[in-house]
Amino acid sequence: MAGKLNITPFKKVLIANRGEIALRIIRTLKEMGIASVAVYAEADRSSLHVRMADEAVCIGASPSPLSYLNIDALVTAAKLTGADAVHPGYGFLSENEDFAKAVTKAGMTFIGPTAEAISMLGVKSTARAIALKAGVAVTPGSNGIVGKDYRQVARKIGFPIMIKATLGGGGKGMRACLKEADLDRMMKTAQGEAKANFGDDRVYFEKLVLNPRHIEVQVAADNYGNVVAFAERDCSMQRRHQKLVEESPSPFVDAATRAKLQEAACKVIKAAKYRGVGTVEFLMAPTKEFYFMEVNTRLQVEHPVTEAVCGQDLVKMQIQIAQGEPLTLTQKEAARVRCHAIEHRINAEDSEHNFAPCPGTVEEWIPSGGLGVRVDSHMYSGYTIPSYYDSLIAKLIVTAPDRTRLLARSRRCLAEFVVGGVKTTIPFHQKIVNEPDFVAGNIDTGLIERMMAKEKKERES
Amino acid sequence: MDTKLITEITDWMKTTDLAEFCYENKGDCIEVKTQEALPEPTQFTCSLTPVTSPAIGIYHAAAKGKNLVLKEGQTIEEGAALGWVETVSQKHQITSPVSGTLRVVTAQEGAAVEFGLPLFFIEKK
Repeated sequence: MAGKLNITPFKKVLIANRGEIALRIIRTLKEMGIASVAVYAEADRSSLHVRMADEAVCIGASPSPLSYLNIDALVTAAKLTGADAVHPGYGFLSENEDFAKAVTKAGMTFIGPTAEAISMLGVKSTARAIALKAGVAVTPGSNGIVGKDYRQVARKIGFPIMIKATLGGGGKGMRACLKEADLDRMMKTAQGEAKANFGDDRVYFEKLVLNPRHIEVQVAADNYGNVVAFAERDCSMQRRHQKLVEESPSPFVDAATRAKLQEAACKVIKAAKYRGVGTVEFLMAPTKEFYFMEVNTRLQVEHPVTEAVCGQDLVKMQIQIAQGEPLTLTQKEAARVRCHAIEHRINAEDSEHNFAPCPGTVEEWIPSGGLGVRVDSHMYSGYTIPSYYDSLIAKLIVTAPDRTRLLARSRRCLAEFVVGGVKTTIPFHQKIVNEPDFVAGNIDTGLIERMMAKEKKERES
Repeated sequence: MDTKLITEITDWMKTTDLAEFCYENKGDCIEVKTQEALPEPTQFTCSLTPVTSPAIGIYHAAAKGKNLVLKEGQTIEEGAALGWVETVSQKHQITSPVSGTLRVVTAQEGAAVEFGLPLFFIEKK
């Protein structure tokens, strides 16, 4: 271990987030004996995170730019309440380097990577360059922003290609271009979307891997150069690049591939001098060849899947790393697969009508329970879901010794979960766990779209 | 359904102080409730106009070195300065939304305030 240990235990942590993730963090803080400060926008006054924290302060009006995205208000709240660290959760400002900088400048610790690491890995073309340098395969592509010679660049890569916004995320500013004839049109669309969503129209190209799997590796790195990688998560069940189901380990990945994935993830993290917990995302071809996609420099929504498989509290690990503690976990311990786990993201959306958001009052709330079940949620009977924020209302995490028993348990849990008053994605999850391809483990990022197309066809005939 | 009967009953109820009227035909059951029997809804109304904090921060009545005295009972014009809320990087000015009399002052010099906290109540002219 290089360097002297420099450990500063936190006394009070402000959570710059809302919803289930704020609760998730408060729970770990309580177990660690650290005081918690919740922040809330006007619409969240009666939210559970406000009630469960040791202190709560109102930081602004309901729209997130005025509250949960308001760096000035969040840093002021942390200063006024005497917090010594800030946990950003996921979404909102969790991958915003300006926020990390502002927190540090105000004399507090940002629980996450350094602003430099966020900035470096946040720009996808820079992240790719880091991976390449570390000797990790990336999908053949433009290796940087494309200029006026984009036609030649695209030809060199070979169609089909993917056009991606440099600052993109969540599927925005991303366009598949199957043949050269579509290139000009797709370029314009992708650049327009990138400009509108991220204020930056720079794009890059990547070869389009057909029928790929989205495989990601959870990592943790401390201030002393120790890095561990956990068993992979398969997040191929996506609709329009939004994950719906995540499972670990992947039914497609064997032990040898798993070791290769973990090695590749550790290489990227070491090369970026990354600190904290993070996720290295890969695209896996049907040949089991995998390519680096990006690094998520935050705690992810689906982190409980890994927690179940490895038996570790990732939020606690994140806080300990931020306090300057070295990792005590060995790679062998981290890579241990104790069980099979799956997460169902339950959103207040009408899956029968194109997943339209359904905010409203939860009149009845009976979550699933029993052996191998974890429900992370901020719902309660009588709670009104505000329309300002995302529609995630619960994460149902199910574990079992193997995948067959896991799916049986998932079916049981989804059937007993009662949410009254609002439409949810539970019925869609039930379709997923009964879909023959899913049951057989034949998953790729296009499966959900195929399921929906099949259903539409059946309805029409 | 006998809509005529319903209209007659509703019209008749208007002439009484009854709040509820249940009627069953077979078995002859009548149940009535007067207005007094109903729980009274709690309602608070405030005729004063609140002035709330525009941000989370520290309240200052005036800029450093300057003095602004705000006393209950004093007359306030619309747009008059009522102080500042200072955050780590910004200053938010507070002005009176109405003309009238300053009735309640809860703002305290140098105190931490959160967004939406009422700092003043003004009786509109």
